[in-house]
Amino acid sequence: MKLNSVKIITFLSLVATVMWVVGLSFTINDQFFNNPPPPVEKSATISTDTTQTKDVFIVAIGDSLTRGTGDSTGKGYVQYMLNDLKSKTKQNVNLSNLAISGYTSQQLINQLKQTEMQRQIRQSDIVVMTIGANDLFQGGTTLTNFKQSNIDALEKTYLSNLKEIYGTIRKINPQTTVYHIGLYNPFIELSDAKTTSNAVRKWNFDTADLAATFEKFVFVPTFDLFQLNVNNYLAGDKFHPNSMGYQLVGDRVASLINFEKENEKNE
Amino acid sequence: MINLVHNELIKLVRKKRLYIILAIVAVLVALFTYAQMKEVKSLQERLGTTDWRSQLQQDIVNTQNRLNSSTIPDDLRKYFLIRISEQEYYLEHDVDPSAPGAPTFMRMFVENSIDLLMPLMVVVVVGDLVSSELSGGTIKMLLTRPVKRWRILMSKFLTMILSVSFIVLSLALLSYLISGAVFGYSGWTMPILTGFSTNGNVLVTTNVHLIYQWQYLLMELGLAWFVGIIVGSITLMLSVLIRSTAAVTGVMLATLISGPILANMVSSWESAKYLFMVNLRITDYISGGAPPIQGMTLGFSMIILTIWGIAALLVAFITFTRRDVY
Repeated sequence: MKLNSVKIITFLSLVATVMWVVGLSFTINDQFFNNPPPPVEKSATISTDTTQTKDVFIVAIGDSLTRGTGDSTGKGYVQYMLNDLKSKTKQNVNLSNLAISGYTSQQLINQLKQTEMQRQIRQSDIVVMTIGANDLFQGGTTLTNFKQSNIDALEKTYLSNLKEIYGTIRKINPQTTVYHIGLYNPFIELSDAKTTSNAVRKWNFDTADLAATFEKFVFVPTFDLFQLNVNNYLAGDKFHPNSMGYQLVGDRVASLINFEKENEKNE
Repeated sequence: MINLVHNELIKLVRKKRLYIILAIVAVLVALFTYAQMKEVKSLQERLGTTDWRSQLQQDIVNTQNRLNSSTIPDDLRKYFLIRISEQEYYLEHDVDPSAPGAPTFMRMFVENSIDLLMPLMVVVVVGDLVSSELSGGTIKMLLTRPVKRWRILMSKFLTMILSVSFIVLSLALLSYLISGAVFGYSGWTMPILTGFSTNGNVLVTTNVHLIYQWQYLLMELGLAWFVGIIVGSITLMLSVLIRSTAAVTGVMLATLISGPILANMVSSWESAKYLFMVNLRITDYISGGAPPIQGMTLGFSMIILTIWGIAALLVAFITFTRRDVY
């Protein structure tokens, strides 16, 4: 009995030794003496999911505002919006938040080139986005050293970037409805409120103007939400909204989204 | 020689250490399988999707958000950048790096046990090969036989190799059999990307190629075996030098555990890359992980490990053949 198990273990160990030596030499051969590797072929089956047809699929893109920075509960307007929508409809609402803090319009253009970004936008029924706050404020430096010529130049680049973003989204998905959430002025209670507010208003106005040239692009203003008592709605960094602020924005976006239309579109 | 090795194996099996190791592995694999299953489930619930692409993209976005935090240390930033480009590569080529299945679980299990769990098992088995005979006095019986001393140690060395093979085999088989009950037994022919290399913090993909998962597993198990032999050789040396088995095991345990800790801390102490315990995670090189210290490659680590192994064996053989036994 004892000798038998010795024999079995010896045999297994011998077989295993041979296997592992083969594996090791295979590794060495594969990793060090690699003949020019056959180029990795893109797999032909880029899947086209059809599972999403009944559910509503929302893609959120943009910067820290969409990410929810500043909300102590970590939700951000996207989650508040989602909660509102879920109580509004019996349909399944799925959401994918692809926003990245600190993104400018230029970085968003680059992000939109990724295959997976495009795939998700293609499947989306609704896209919500915020972009431009980092273009304009640049972490607060723009408005504290206020120069009109400087801002005009920033806005010009931003608008041409935005046009490309809108165009890309439309090209990827001709059906989806896009909600672009506008800027508020976090510095409205500081000195210079007039000039900063002017700049933000003009920025918003030009964005809305551009959105109007695309079909099913909705510009969602937030300036008025934060106009009075802005400090009640701002987080500790005096720049991002807090949960109350995000709740306001979320409610507003949710109130604009109408499910009847989405249903018609899908049928 | 064959008789000597056979003799050693009988002693090994009598001691029942191999069975204990089988039991430990079985329990651990069951635990990990359960944990993995829980994680997959909770991830699906949170994202509301079973699509691996959405999950991977979410992972990328999360990492990118972390990158924007200014408090993140430099080496971690580098690691994240490399991971992101790797994940994007997977997305672009429509290859799911973690498709569920027993072979995938096995792959992750091997990758995660190569630097600690597997070497520990080797230490448990090899640690007393010589020292127990020294402390128990049975070494005298062995040495009175008309066999040269180096042949006796050689038989112990061969036994060490056989038991390492056995340990790696049982890791592989048990993780496959147990996890398969939950994840299913298929997935051998899933394509896996390998051949990533890093240059600074840029991921070089010129050598990247697809291989089947079974080939990949064979490669990883081969590497695990290699690591096991090196750890086994060093343990054998200590076993010759130190009489007490507990001391041998203790020293090896401490050294092995220091490996991951060092790897986390030494990104600025570059010469730590010449220590063997920092070089144990060699499967990371073929899966494309960032090296613990810049400039480390698969070739480098294997050479360092080989040097340590050979040096340990030299010390072991010289000491064993010249030592006075009383």
